[in-house]
Amino acid sequence: MTTGARDTTRALPFGRAARGVFTLSFDSMIWSRRSLFMGLFIGLPVLLSLLFRLTDMATRIGGEDFYHAIVVLFYVRNALPLMALFYATALIAEEVEGGTLTYLLARPVPRPAILAGKFAAYLTATLTLALPAVVGSFVLLVSDEGFAQLGSALPDLMRDLAVVALTLLAYGALFALLGVALRRPVIPGLVFLLVWELLANAPGYISRFTLSIYARYLVSYRAIPGINDGFSDPPSTAASVAALCGISVVCLSAAAMIFSRREYVSQQ
Amino acid sequence: MTTPPTTAAPLEYSRVSRWYGPVIALNDISTKITPGVTGLLGPNGAGKSTLLKLAAGQLAPSQGEVRSFGLPAWGSPERFHRVGLSPETDAFWERLTGMEFLVTLLGLSGFDNAECKRRADEALDTVGLKAAAGRRLGGYSKGMRQRIRLAQAIAHDPDLLLLDEPLTGMDPVNRRRVIDLVKKYGREGRTVVVSSHILHEVEAMTRRVLLIHNGRILAEGEVREIRDLLDEHPHTVTLRARDPRSLASALVPAGHILSVRFGADNEWLTIQTAKPDEFYGSLHDLAIDTGVTEMYSPDDDLASVFQYLLARKR
Repeated sequence: MTTGARDTTRALPFGRAARGVFTLSFDSMIWSRRSLFMGLFIGLPVLLSLLFRLTDMATRIGGEDFYHAIVVLFYVRNALPLMALFYATALIAEEVEGGTLTYLLARPVPRPAILAGKFAAYLTATLTLALPAVVGSFVLLVSDEGFAQLGSALPDLMRDLAVVALTLLAYGALFALLGVALRRPVIPGLVFLLVWELLANAPGYISRFTLSIYARYLVSYRAIPGINDGFSDPPSTAASVAALCGISVVCLSAAAMIFSRREYVSQQ
Repeated sequence: MTTPPTTAAPLEYSRVSRWYGPVIALNDISTKITPGVTGLLGPNGAGKSTLLKLAAGQLAPSQGEVRSFGLPAWGSPERFHRVGLSPETDAFWERLTGMEFLVTLLGLSGFDNAECKRRADEALDTVGLKAAAGRRLGGYSKGMRQRIRLAQAIAHDPDLLLLDEPLTGMDPVNRRRVIDLVKKYGREGRTVVVSSHILHEVEAMTRRVLLIHNGRILAEGEVREIRDLLDEHPHTVTLRARDPRSLASALVPAGHILSVRFGADNEWLTIQTAKPDEFYGSLHDLAIDTGVTEMYSPDDDLASVFQYLLARKR
């Protein structure tokens, strides 16, 4: 049965369905209390950078060094994984708890497209919050010794922005998987971040079983003494990118598979 | 992908059982739902919602098979071009307006933007919410939320409509509107399955009833027996009205009112009537004058009728 351009014998094409879910989800994600809180949290370094410029902190540590410390210590190690945890575990769980998943499941839409649309919304929303904060810190701190310095440090900024995106992608995919597989995914997610990820500091190959090691290495191109200069046998840039992308693909595929087969309505 | 055969039944349960852990919600159900309106009637916890959720593909049967238009109900999203579901859960994306809610869901049914708007407009008009189209769902009253749920279920013009307790909390005027709409769908040859724990609601829409109790089909078809039985039992209705005292004064002289109880907040009124038909008949006009906004009926009377029926069956 086909009505005009609408083929009613098939589910909606994946891309179109995912786009529809993205539009719905992005709006509610960005205009939420969570985003307000996360925006303030992720924007803290901008405030710190402003204080750095206005006080005499600059005489003790260079602006560029401070910027790199913020990217490594605050964003990559802590803030972005936490942000991913609170958004990505809620992708499906929030719709289940809110009772709205029923409406999405009662449409001719393949289930993996629902997850894809929601994940794309997560990525866009978190990047919308994180990227301006990183750029703001960069401009305020790196221009410390004159605006000419901004131009020469621009490739560093581009690389940092790419690392931010990759970090949100990989942690987001992992937490999306926890979100579809578990009823209460936040606590296991926190345990992962606060316990398992510490293995990134362990010697030998065990550190390769963490996400943190790859994200950290990608921003270790500029060593900060005592913070990220301790890699013995570090993974290459290509290996780090491949690992983060690979983990994302595996986690998202597993999440899509579980979401397609699982009943959620009974939980409502 | 195969095209579903056109002769396939809109909905068919074949030896379906469903359990939640150790609890059996449905036990070996087999029935075929044909075009027209079918009422699923049973007390709370009888298995009505589970039966509807299986039909909507939201739950998978633990045993047996549910098919709709020739396709398995579980795992066939393409069915939803032809199926509309009005869930019982009072849940929405509260930030969306009524119009945005419908347009978004119609977009997910594959319509282009202009068609989404046209259909959303039409559905809002059908359920009497056109004036509230631009208001956020978070500001809708309970009855309006019930109607917008119905609107999203009918907006894509489905052949099979699954309605889970669609009249709960609705005022008498809109209750009449929804009942008329369901009957119209049935007359048009579509299949409508309505669940309710109130016989009078179901009876207003159809004579074809599936009686469900403890996860089993107790009786099927035109159930006159239960109708007669119900006449022997007083029927309780709780109403929320602007002026409950005037409403009570207007109802009491009719003679079939057995008791009247006012709520502490002077908004609620609980009435027990010996003749539900007469009561509902007279309520329609009175509801407008006295500002009735919500109406509920506990299922105690129906539960006692079911117990009686069950005892007789044994």
